[in-house]
Amino acid sequence: MLGLAKGLGYTLRRLTEKKVTYRYPDVPVKMPDRFRGIQHFDPDKCIVCHQCERICPTQCINLTGKPHPDPTKKGKVIDTYDINFEICILCDLCTEVCPTEAIVMTNNFELAAYSRDELFKDREWLAANNTNVRSENSTNLLPGGKKS
Amino acid sequence: MAHWLSQPLSWTTAAVFLASAVAMLLVVLLFVTYAIYFERKVIGWIQLRRGPNRVGPYGLLQSVADVLKLLVKEDVIPDRADRTLFILAPVIAFVPAFAVLAVLPFTETLHFADLGVGLLYYVAVSGITTLGILLGGWASNNKYALLGGMRSVAQMISYEIPLVISVIGVVLLAGSLNLKEIVAAQSGGFWNWFFLKQILGFAVFVVAALAELNRTPFDLPEAESELVAGYHVEYSGFRFAFFMLAEYVYVFAMSALATVLFLGGWHPPIESLGFVPGLVWFALKFAFCVFFLFWLRATMPRVRVDQLMTFAWKVLLPLALLNLFLTALVKELVA
Repeated sequence: MLGLAKGLGYTLRRLTEKKVTYRYPDVPVKMPDRFRGIQHFDPDKCIVCHQCERICPTQCINLTGKPHPDPTKKGKVIDTYDINFEICILCDLCTEVCPTEAIVMTNNFELAAYSRDELFKDREWLAANNTNVRSENSTNLLPGGKKS
Repeated sequence: MAHWLSQPLSWTTAAVFLASAVAMLLVVLLFVTYAIYFERKVIGWIQLRRGPNRVGPYGLLQSVADVLKLLVKEDVIPDRADRTLFILAPVIAFVPAFAVLAVLPFTETLHFADLGVGLLYYVAVSGITTLGILLGGWASNNKYALLGGMRSVAQMISYEIPLVISVIGVVLLAGSLNLKEIVAAQSGGFWNWFFLKQILGFAVFVVAALAELNRTPFDLPEAESELVAGYHVEYSGFRFAFFMLAEYVYVFAMSALATVLFLGGWHPPIESLGFVPGLVWFALKFAFCVFFLFWLRATMPRVRVDQLMTFAWKVLLPLALLNLFLTALVKELVA
């Protein structure tokens, strides 16, 4: 009998306690740093080294380069850069391998769409996805360490 | 209402009775809608969640949306089911649930049938619902439904006996089976309410009433983890809504009955608070009873099926009988 009363008292106290649920669609959820969200792509930093394309385990990245518009400069600049989020597993390997931090992870994760076509993201879309960019990237691999 | 009831039956009085019955039905439907809403809210709060909050402001239209969804669902009747009984069962389950409301007095003036044997009527009519549940379980031609239906019948009939015997103590003290007179016997402050004089009977009543309502911790007939959904496995759409409705109308009726029998009906707890209308006092006590059911549901696990019958026959029934004898003894010696 005492146990019943104890249990009832316990649940009654829980009634007014702070809720543990998130108000998610109304209030955005703040993801922890190092969360593997949708990539942000910075075309100016890209040196068209194809490393991200090669390391991608699902071959979801497609990129093409073109010769540098300034003929005196060597190397290429990026022409098209597409990620297919139908098959991207957000494994973070492309951003790990990128030598210039042209592709970095963000904390954005809302990918739900009504059509599969919308999951095919191009260079412009990825460049515009520049909010909540991960602050801590693997720049420590570069000589000189982390730059802002 | 008493004015209309005392007149000979004519077209006018019949129309008044019909209108008041429809009004009562609407009130009950509104109650059921928001009882389900508050049940989900209260359980959510206790589990540190928020409960339904997406449909309408604060999720107030959640139950409305749920009912609408049930109403537009396809009406499925299993191929091998007993068609007539299958269709009849939800009706048989629901009609007594609404019929028992006729004898419940809400205030001095606001009541429907003023029966001399109101309490007996309530108990007798509410027993018919068991038949509807067994029919539903049987007609579905499904082993889970049949098991659920049989459990339900065994449980509801076993617990009806301690329920009735625990209430006889109240009847002895009030000297009447008329629910209005039982309330009248509890006037003049909360120390006159029967839950104090009949504390043992009240305890037995609460447990037996929970079992009668098939609610947690006695929700074995629809034990989801064991029986899928009990007697209404095969029911969907409109018919399922009727079973659900019957269940919640019984919550209404049982809470109102507990208020009338043990919590002094429309009487204020202290005489000096008499300026507050009786209906408000009734509603407050009634709301507490309903809340208690939800609260209990969020707290208690389910009783084991092998303990269920032993508990009714070897614990509740002797306790109820003891309460009856003690009450008779005290009444004989003191009065």
